[in-house]
Amino acid sequence: MDVLIQIIASGLTLGAMYAVATIGLSLVYGSLNMLNMAHGALLTLGGYICYATITHLGFHPALALIAAALVCAAAGLVIYAFATLPLLRAENFETNIFIATIGIGSIIENLMLKSFGPYPIPQPLGISGQVVIGNVHIPVQNILILVTALTLMAAVAFLLQKTRTGRAIRATSMNREAAQLMGVRVGQVYAQVLALSGALAAVSGIMISSIATLTPVMGGDPMLKAFIVCVVAGLGNVYGAVIAAIVLGLLEAATQYVFGVRWSFATLLLLVILVLIWRPYGLFGRGQVVRL
Amino acid sequence: MKRKSDLSKPNVIAGSRRNFLIRGSAATAATLTGLPAMLFAMNKEARAEGDPIPVGQCGPTTDFAAPDGIEFKNGLTLACEEINALGGILGRPLEPSFEDTAQMGDATNVQAAQRLIDRYGVHAIINGYNIGSGAAIQEVVADNGIIYVHYDTTIGHNNLVKSNPERYWGSFMGDPAETFYGSGFLKFLQGLETNGEWKRANNKMAVILSAGVYASNIANAVKEQAAQFGWEISLFETVSVPASEWGPTLAKIRQDPPAVICITHFLPADLAQFCLQFGPNPTQSLVYMQYGPSIPAFRDIGKETTNGILYATLVGALQDEIGTAFEKRYKEKFGANAGHNSGAQPYDGAYVWATSAALAGGSGEPGNNDQNKKVAARMSSMIWRGVTGTTRFVPIENAAYSYPTQVNDSSLGMPHQFLQIQDYTKGPALIAPAPYGTAKFVMPPWIKA
Repeated sequence: MDVLIQIIASGLTLGAMYAVATIGLSLVYGSLNMLNMAHGALLTLGGYICYATITHLGFHPALALIAAALVCAAAGLVIYAFATLPLLRAENFETNIFIATIGIGSIIENLMLKSFGPYPIPQPLGISGQVVIGNVHIPVQNILILVTALTLMAAVAFLLQKTRTGRAIRATSMNREAAQLMGVRVGQVYAQVLALSGALAAVSGIMISSIATLTPVMGGDPMLKAFIVCVVAGLGNVYGAVIAAIVLGLLEAATQYVFGVRWSFATLLLLVILVLIWRPYGLFGRGQVVRL
Repeated sequence: MKRKSDLSKPNVIAGSRRNFLIRGSAATAATLTGLPAMLFAMNKEARAEGDPIPVGQCGPTTDFAAPDGIEFKNGLTLACEEINALGGILGRPLEPSFEDTAQMGDATNVQAAQRLIDRYGVHAIINGYNIGSGAAIQEVVADNGIIYVHYDTTIGHNNLVKSNPERYWGSFMGDPAETFYGSGFLKFLQGLETNGEWKRANNKMAVILSAGVYASNIANAVKEQAAQFGWEISLFETVSVPASEWGPTLAKIRQDPPAVICITHFLPADLAQFCLQFGPNPTQSLVYMQYGPSIPAFRDIGKETTNGILYATLVGALQDEIGTAFEKRYKEKFGANAGHNSGAQPYDGAYVWATSAALAGGSGEPGNNDQNKKVAARMSSMIWRGVTGTTRFVPIENAAYSYPTQVNDSSLGMPHQFLQIQDYTKGPALIAPAPYGTAKFVMPPWIKA
């Protein structure tokens, strides 16, 4: 019984980490058809800003979280102004922005390396304590990450479905030209989505670094896993991404226990291949390119 | 000898040796204890003001191994400054240049080494480690006839050099191969039992490794020799990197508790997470880890759950007169949190090469095989007592001897150091081998008497 509890606890922890990393990435792809390869670096930036504001500026953790979200939102706006906007005017936007954001991510990572050094640093924002079920100790921080992922998903859903901004985002994602003709300021929508994605990345980075520590390259693995989750769920489907993340986390933990840890990543990739063969548009995606 | 304007470069100490010695701190003077004094004597009255000798390093100053890469750079920088203060190599100052190898794939490593030669004309490459095959840069070095000292800690180097000593005469590994970790660890456990410091609860040992040559070779060495020491490998688990969630692996360990958990995966953040997740519900097992605990961040992250953890290194600064003086100088220059154990590697490597070059009458530029072969011959025959202990190269293999596994005389091999974190707020305690140990083994707090 303890083993089963441990697998579920580990699976939910992994799933929650993947989910928080995936929400921002999925939102940007779904809304803008833009695969933001700097997303992992934005996670890193958020984690470090939180660390710096608490440790060096003495901020309250809640204020530090807000500060990190604001800085990463601003970074999202910078990406919009200096990469997205110029490339939108050219052909092959999807390919060009993919390459450009790889470069931006590399710049952000190296700025973190120069600013904070190469050593792993513990994230000061976190909740101590454990919940004991049977003989399994589950850190409260892990539960917080799961709650955060679900809260962010609900918040994004509310924004997209119930607000004027959300309608503009959905209209732009369905047909950019038509939305423009209907009076939607497409440029403004892109800026809003990238800023929102940046803020979400900051929260994700803080949560992930709280159990995986801060390093300048910490965003790489969550970014890779988030991409896998997005592909399995259907690129751009935020709700599907969260559900897929949690299911994949549970699958990974079970694989690690039953077959060995070395098979877990291979199993994820095998699943991606099977999904792409069976449903190329993802488990929660639609055959037609209509997102969100 | 006329002073040259290029001595104003920051990596060259232009002051006179007399001023250096008179004004230098006690820590600085300590550089002249032991063999650096030999280099100082060979330089006679020469100041380090001749034509600079370019020396290079290609290491991982970005990406996941940057914590070590930056220390490698620091180590070579400090060595060059000190050697220049001693008069350089027969009056010629050393001028270091650096290239980044990021994720350290063989292709990247080879290109970085070639750039050092093409751009700067380096006479020697003095590295820390680059993971990868550990047998690629040697090709560039052989093609260009220069000297290469590295700390890749891989048996691949020994095998390569042994396969064709006529080609790889210039390549040296400043520490023993990683396979000594396996046998050394098993002997260490045997010693604890013999001395009555610890008694195994059963014969089971769990071995946890990550994919990669270094961790795999060590784990396989433990696995292959475990039976000779009465151990049964009850779990042989390969984890993927990064490994922040250890739940499933810990579930297996808790189902069948071993007397020893041997983790050859080496990233400090991952290992600290293991401690944090092992700590609340531990098994009655000694926990040994590879390398990661030597990085201060391991203790910062794992805090009290790291107390009692054992680890080892085949190359690291000793906690003796020479080693602690080096640590003091290093931290004064690079900050209190600087990792002097990583910096110690190219630091010692640079001294071995520079002293050998002085003995050989100078170093040679790329293509000057004749002169560099003389340097290599001096390196091969040298016994160097540095901050990491003794560097003495195995003939034909050009890799350092390991003490006590390979030689039983502490003055003839590099000590395989075993350390234990006994108080996470302080540095680790060196518990073996004799005569270098400064503390005794302490039973980990989670093991009941």
